[in-house]
Amino acid sequence: MKEKLRHFIFSELIFHEAPETFGDADDLLEAGLDSMGIMRLIMFAEKEFSVTLPDTEIEPNNVRSLNALEQWIQLAPRA
Amino acid sequence: MNAEPALIPFNPADYFTYVLHEEIRNAGMPGGYCGFVLELAGEPDFNRLQQRLDQLVVQFPIASAKLERRGKRFFWMTTGRRIMLERHQSSHNEGEAILGLQTAMDIFNQPTLNLDPLPLRLHWIATGNGGLLLLNWIHPLLDARGGKILLDYLCSDRPDKFKESPSLIGEKLAQWRWWQKVRFFFKAKRHNHEAIRLDSCLPTAMEQGSQSLRLRIRRYSKDETLRISALAQQHTGLAGKTLYSIGCFMRAMELAGPPAAKAGYCIPYAFNLRRQNAPTPVFGNHVSCLFARATREQTRQRQGLFAHLLAQYRQTLQNELDIAYLPLMWLGQSLSPSRYAKLLRKQRSGGELSSLWFSDIGELRWNEAGFMGTRVSGMFHLCWMTFPPGLALLTGQLNGQITLSYSYLHPAVDEAWLEGLIARMDAELLETNP
Repeated sequence: MKEKLRHFIFSELIFHEAPETFGDADDLLEAGLDSMGIMRLIMFAEKEFSVTLPDTEIEPNNVRSLNALEQWIQLAPRA
Repeated sequence: MNAEPALIPFNPADYFTYVLHEEIRNAGMPGGYCGFVLELAGEPDFNRLQQRLDQLVVQFPIASAKLERRGKRFFWMTTGRRIMLERHQSSHNEGEAILGLQTAMDIFNQPTLNLDPLPLRLHWIATGNGGLLLLNWIHPLLDARGGKILLDYLCSDRPDKFKESPSLIGEKLAQWRWWQKVRFFFKAKRHNHEAIRLDSCLPTAMEQGSQSLRLRIRRYSKDETLRISALAQQHTGLAGKTLYSIGCFMRAMELAGPPAAKAGYCIPYAFNLRRQNAPTPVFGNHVSCLFARATREQTRQRQGLFAHLLAQYRQTLQNELDIAYLPLMWLGQSLSPSRYAKLLRKQRSGGELSSLWFSDIGELRWNEAGFMGTRVSGMFHLCWMTFPPGLALLTGQLNGQITLSYSYLHPAVDEAWLEGLIARMDAELLETNP
């Protein structure tokens, strides 16, 4: 899951010179993930992993890192 | 710089912006010129800046190209012309909110006497200890995100890492099979069809007459910016900062009373295909178009409006309408500028589609070295727009402060009304009483 997220984020949303060196706990918001990007990321995750990510849970702590994203998606209800 | 001229074709979004440039010119204004202004605390190294401009033309010959039409298609033809740093002394210091602003506006309001004006110019407006660095370009050449990349290029220690790359729109289109393109085309057509149903309120009742460009800048303090960000998150979630600004504007206009009152509001905004912080592509437009729409009744209910705009945006992404516009723009290249413009601007009733031109440039950062060692103390943006709507709102954030730049046509937009609108916008963004 994390690798799919990583691939989508760094091929579509954020430029990073060496994305493979970006740690699972590194800060995606600091790296440039913006509000439009977060929405696209959520749509990608819902489609790719067949889950529903509630609007009320869209908060910095859930999207700040690849670890946080993975945990959020794993706990989300199935679509 | 004596290389043979080369022809660089427009990508679909370049043509989209060219069509609007022509509409602006047809209304008697200079055209689709945009400005990105850095407020610098000191003078940059002028020699180094000129060297970098020279290097720019060698590395990216499109920077000083001229528009060329061949049959139905449009191109940039490289010329190798130098881009000279144009230096000015600010002459209107008294009472200006930002020193040098009037000089910047004078530059913007100059008629384009030269038949082949440079598509990109760089100005330094000295204001005492520091000044304004104004990057002024014509929209078909690049979008605002490209403007930021270009400024990064000019002050970078590693200009070689900035490379040209193919159109991101072209890359996306190439990924799709023909039937996918057709499917997206019809999706986008339906999206457009919805957008043109609701008659848009406009910030001016005028549709013609001689106009000049003016600018009002509203910069929020760090505390105010923190409050706006917290309210944006509360009302539209982490994913909807742009929508918060758009919703606040719709409400501000509704509460101020729209000069041309119709059924609702339609605010097109760009979706940029560039990745955040990417140094490439530098030139070209890499944007698609989305619409934020609401009836006047929806606009009157603050909480409900934000929920509506967020749901609309979510629906747009779910239905892939954000990328569906790309095949539409691709096919638009086969239309003449006037026919394409009509499709882009006109509602079913014949009225103007856009209640406002809007762009969120996002949060920008310059490293500690600033621009060539000079601290960047602020920034603002400006652009010409079609008439109507005659009003453009460009928003961006630097050093923890949001800046709203209102470009407007004078006398089309009533200045007393605009002042009231800006006060309402403050109240909406900060959730206070006007």
